[in-house]
Amino acid sequence: MVCDDVKRVVYFYLDGVLGEKKHSDLTSHLKECPDCDDRVLIHTRLRNFIRRRLGRLTAPQTLQVKLRDQRGSGGEASRVV
Amino acid sequence: MKSAEVYDQEQAWDFEKAAMPYVDSLYNTAYRMTRNSEDAEDLVQETYLKAYKYYDKFEEGTNFKAWLFKIMKNTFINNYRKKKLTPHKIDFSEIEESYERVIQKNAPDLIKDPESEIFQDMMDEDVKRALDSLPHDYKMVVLLADIEGFSYKEIAEILDCPVGTVMSRLYRGRKMLERTLLEYAKKYGYIRGGEPAKMRSRKDEVKPKKKSGAGDDVEEPAEEAPDDDLFVVAGPEEEDFDFEVEEEPEEEFQLE
Repeated sequence: MVCDDVKRVVYFYLDGVLGEKKHSDLTSHLKECPDCDDRVLIHTRLRNFIRRRLGRLTAPQTLQVKLRDQRGSGGEASRVV
Repeated sequence: MKSAEVYDQEQAWDFEKAAMPYVDSLYNTAYRMTRNSEDAEDLVQETYLKAYKYYDKFEEGTNFKAWLFKIMKNTFINNYRKKKLTPHKIDFSEIEESYERVIQKNAPDLIKDPESEIFQDMMDEDVKRALDSLPHDYKMVVLLADIEGFSYKEIAEILDCPVGTVMSRLYRGRKMLERTLLEYAKKYGYIRGGEPAKMRSRKDEVKPKKKSGAGDDVEEPAEEAPDDDLFVVAGPEEEDFDFEVEEEPEEEFQLE
C-alpha cells in the first residue's frame, strides 16, 4: 500500500469497514510512514471535534412536554383516521 | 381479554419508552436540517406523531432509531422541501486538491496541539456555518454517520439511496467539512500550533483573554492576512445555503 491509497480509504479505515487484508496492510504502512500516521491522527482529531461540537444540542423541555401531551391526542387521532 | 382502551394505553406506554430516548438525537439532527429551533421542534413533533400513528407497522427486530430518522427525513422532504433547491455545480477535483494543500500546510500544528485544544476556541457559529456550507445530501450523511453513528447500510435505508452513494457522499462531505473547518481555523486564528491564542482579526467576536500583567489597552495589530488564496472562505451566501449538487459523479472505493 502506498500513501495515495491511504488517503483514499482513510475514512473507511477509521469507520472500521475495510476488509481484513486491506486493514492490516494499512496498519503496517502506518508503522513505516510517519506522514500517513500523522494524517490518520489528524482525521481522528477532526472527527472527534466534529462529534463534540455538532452533537451536543438537547431537545428543549417544552418539546419533551409537547411530545408527551401529543402522544395521547395522537392516539385519538389515529383511531379516528 | 384486554379492552381496546387498555391495549391502546399499553401501546402508548410502549411507544413512549421506545421513542423518548431518541428525542435529543432527533432534535439535534432536525436543528441541523432546518437551521432553526422552531422548525426543528415542529419537525420532531410531527415525526413523533407519525411514528406513533404507524407504530404497529414497525418491524420488531429492526433498528427503531433508524426507523424514526427515516420518518423524519420523509417528513422534512414533504414539509420543507416543496420549494426546489438551487442546484450548484461543485468541482470535486478542486475540493480534493485544495484539501491536500490545506491539510499539508496545517498538519504540523494540528499534531503539535493537544487533542483537547484543537479548535477549542472556535465559535459555534463558525462550526455551524461550516456544516451549512455542505450541500444538503452531504450534510445528511455526515450527520447520520459521524454524529448519530449509523452504519452505511442504515444510512442508505434512511435516505433511500444505494450504499455506494452513501460512501461517496461521506468521502466528499467529510472532506468538505474538514476543509472548511481548517480554513476558518486558519483565518480566525483557532489553530495555535502550541502557541498561546492569537489575536483574531474579526470585529464581531470576543477577544481572547490576555495573560495577567499585560494590562494595556493598546490594540494589537491583527494577525497578518494569509499570503495566499487558500484561506479565502468561499462558501455559498446565506440566502442560498440550502442547495443540492447538479452533477454528482459517484466515486468507487475498494474496501477489500
